[in-house]
Amino acid sequence: MCVLSDTVIIGIGNPLCGDDGVGIALLEALEGRVDADLVDAGTSAMQVVHALAGRHRAILLDCARMGLPFGTLRRFTPEEVANGTSLPRLSLHEGDLLAFLALARNLGAAPEEIILFGIEPASLEPAMHLSSILVAQMGDYLTAIIAEAKAPFHSI
Amino acid sequence: MPEKIDIGVHHITRVEGHGTIVVRATAGKVEQVEWQVPEAPRFFEAMVRGRSWEEIQTVVSRVCGICSVTHSLAALKAIEDAMDIPVSEQTERLRLLGLNGEYIESHVLHVGYLVAPDLLGVKSVVPLVATNPDLVKLVVRLHRLGNTIMEVIGGRRTHPLAFKPGGMRRIPTERELRSLRAAIEGALPDLQVLAEAVHGLAGKIPAFERDTEYVSLVDRGTYTLYYGNIGSSDTTNTVAVQKFKSIVNEYVSPQSTAKWARWHRESYMVGALARFNLNAGYLLPMAAEMARYLGLARGCCNPYMNSVAQVVETVQAFEHSLQLIDELLTAGLQPETARVIPRSGWGAGAVEAPRGILFHSYAFDDDGTCIGANLTIPTNQNHANIQKDMEKLVPQFLSRGQDELRQLLEMLVRAYDPCISCSTHMLDVRFV
Repeated sequence: MCVLSDTVIIGIGNPLCGDDGVGIALLEALEGRVDADLVDAGTSAMQVVHALAGRHRAILLDCARMGLPFGTLRRFTPEEVANGTSLPRLSLHEGDLLAFLALARNLGAAPEEIILFGIEPASLEPAMHLSSILVAQMGDYLTAIIAEAKAPFHSI
Repeated sequence: MPEKIDIGVHHITRVEGHGTIVVRATAGKVEQVEWQVPEAPRFFEAMVRGRSWEEIQTVVSRVCGICSVTHSLAALKAIEDAMDIPVSEQTERLRLLGLNGEYIESHVLHVGYLVAPDLLGVKSVVPLVATNPDLVKLVVRLHRLGNTIMEVIGGRRTHPLAFKPGGMRRIPTERELRSLRAAIEGALPDLQVLAEAVHGLAGKIPAFERDTEYVSLVDRGTYTLYYGNIGSSDTTNTVAVQKFKSIVNEYVSPQSTAKWARWHRESYMVGALARFNLNAGYLLPMAAEMARYLGLARGCCNPYMNSVAQVVETVQAFEHSLQLIDELLTAGLQPETARVIPRSGWGAGAVEAPRGILFHSYAFDDDGTCIGANLTIPTNQNHANIQKDMEKLVPQFLSRGQDELRQLLEMLVRAYDPCISCSTHMLDVRFV
């Protein structure tokens, strides 16, 4: 039986779609640098629900369209945001992360602390690399994420 | 009869890549019925060109977050076909076990997350937690089991890394397999509860039928997801996977940028109901019993019953997984030592994804660099059939009024379990 870390860091996104893969790229760069479990959820939002269970804190890393300048990193909680789009709920592939977070909370299976780091994409064109704007800021993103992972609990 | 029907869900879907239902009718006369859907992304085909035969399955596993095992396996089969690479029985059993894990995950999530809210009269799974908490917890538990199978076999919960052409990068230990077997057996009572819940809701499944051509893999004597030729409910002749383009016959429809598919008729359906209609005689005993319990019989042509067929296939995946683990343990786990020498060639592979038959084909040059690729996904094959269903359904249910008709049409699309926009997953938020 493996022991879960108190903190889980979850990367979300598709590394085939340019900056959409920033969450996965950050996750890979965090390997060995934080005392937390690292989970690559890809584009499957339900993975997030499983990864949240049994933790004290979850840090989610995702590309996010927020209306901010390209490459901007913003830290927020699920309570601070609403969906910018209304999904038609026609397919399992819509991957509505906020809905899955609400589901986990309603099931009582979510940690008290859920922090999201959203990064504004510069390019979502098909590519297996990030845009140069995001690449230039990877160090800053990692500094912020590592600081969050080291902060005491209940730091919201 | 309502005076005017005007359905267009486009205004609520600002997300690129999603389908749109458009229906217009005046005084009982249907003026327009259209399932409009954009082309599913084909850029993955360009992405694998120039890459080594060894990395293709890892790249294509990212095409879809729900069907990552299926994409990996279809790629592996095509590569092995192109280079004539032999595969051990052990590797194939492990692949099938991983595939069963994906079926459990995908089917349970589809039935629990998208279909159950419709049948229980709520907008989504989130409010379902308040009204039916046990059902939602059950769905999460069963999904997690599928996840565990994929983790043990594929080396991670999604986008598997353990598979490779001609073998496995790592194989599970005997202890891991025994533990997995116990977990699957331990979840059988949950499966029964899910079946009872679906049975209790069967009366709410819309009564709609349309004579349809069904297409899936067929392989005598098995409920195949992986082996065999391409079969159709319209003929006893089968077609080799390498000739898949001759059955897909893509054509252009004026209302959709996605290419449609036809074989013997104007359209065909792929997915759980197609597999059931072609191969139900080969279901394992528990799955066959579940089909009887849920009232699903061969020849069913109600597309809404695709979700019921998914429940039957979930039982099949449980049963088949137990069988595969027993076979692996009886044979004893052997190291996979096969070495592959790449060579030029063209090959095709087909695997039944949870949502229907998936084709991959690749061409390679002498050193195994990919010089051409084609991915034909199940949802693209279903679009024409969704359109034909809508054309029959709308006049039949027009008198129900706009809201009920819209609900029926959305439920129809959901029943097909489409892979509509699986490429990017970006959050789209506004701060409140």
